[in-house]
Amino acid sequence: MLSRLAGRRIVFFGGKGGVGKTTLAAAYAVASADRGERTLLVSTDPAHSTGDILQCALDGDARDVVPNLRAIEIDPAQEADRYIADVKRRIAETTSPRLLAEVERQIDIARVTPGAEESALFDRFAQILERDGDDYDRLVFDTAPLGHTLRLLALPEQMHVWMQALIGRRKRVNALGRMWRSVAGAAAGDAGERDAVLDALERRRARFAAARTRLTDTAQTAFVFVVVPERLPILETERAVQALERHGIPVGAVMVNRVLPAEAAGDFMARRRARERAYLERIRTAFGRHEIVYVPLQEADVVGITMLRDLAARAGTGEA
Amino acid sequence: MMERLRARLRAARDIYEGVFVAPYRSQVHREYLRQRDLFLLLGFADLLGVPNPIAFYTLELYPELIDQFHQWHLRMGMPHAPAGGFRCC
Repeated sequence: MLSRLAGRRIVFFGGKGGVGKTTLAAAYAVASADRGERTLLVSTDPAHSTGDILQCALDGDARDVVPNLRAIEIDPAQEADRYIADVKRRIAETTSPRLLAEVERQIDIARVTPGAEESALFDRFAQILERDGDDYDRLVFDTAPLGHTLRLLALPEQMHVWMQALIGRRKRVNALGRMWRSVAGAAAGDAGERDAVLDALERRRARFAAARTRLTDTAQTAFVFVVVPERLPILETERAVQALERHGIPVGAVMVNRVLPAEAAGDFMARRRARERAYLERIRTAFGRHEIVYVPLQEADVVGITMLRDLAARAGTGEA
Repeated sequence: MMERLRARLRAARDIYEGVFVAPYRSQVHREYLRQRDLFLLLGFADLLGVPNPIAFYTLELYPELIDQFHQWHLRMGMPHAPAGGFRCC
């Protein structure tokens, strides 16, 4: 399965909703683990189904699934709560008890603003890329349907620019503060040690920069598109490939899921197959630059480790 | 002799400070406060209703900056924090 991507440590699975991203990502992760690679499977889709397919309960922290395989379902609400709790804890240390209730109310408002959970999800995603990148031999990301994911992947670049601007401003404030203290002497008060604000900004910038570096590293990272031989998924995937290339994220392969197997017989199937042939041709033309892997349509829903192993073994055996 | 020299030096330094450094000092202070306010605005624009894509990430700076916000609204002639947004008193 995906032989040409063997050297890529970070593999994303993406595609239009319902094409089988989660199933193929899980099959790929199980196959990696079976080869002895320490593998982390991460679902970034807020509507998770990774746990359903692996048949185990997952949450925002890495859980053991089979030997060498751990999995995470990033929970945006849980991540936002975690972050808010941390801000509150630090506020309690520095704010007078008289003001605390008012300040906490303010922070609770921020918790429910639009975008808070998306930011929290992105932060966790960047943290995994930054920190866990070296603890595992392979990171497999099962992403949300394409629109969401394109945004998620574009964020490191955009956030980095914003952080950079804020850091520039902050340094300017600090330089003027130093100047002011040197001309005003004791009247300006103490300089204090390090600037905690600048430190926090620098930490975030480093995280976004690390995420960006890993995402665009053609030697380590690949994005695998899952598509089915039907009109709409092909069209959407064509656009998404272009968008990713614009952001400098390397596209590694296209997996064509649910290809009709040769043994599917009957007039109805014959007509479907004729139609499918045209779509497969279109896929070859559109994505021929990338490795194309064909996965045959299965008899039953893929659920559980055994069926995932079976699927991984059959990926690539679909007719082309 | 030494005493008189020292007194003169001190007088000369006071004149120098009064003529050159004092106006410069207030300018530096004003610019320092201006830049500090601008930083607050950029980091917390959402509190004034201006969309800020990094609002969630600057929230963690809130504990460090409450005091500066307090100084800002006093300087702007508001005895209490304006309604909404950053609260300090």
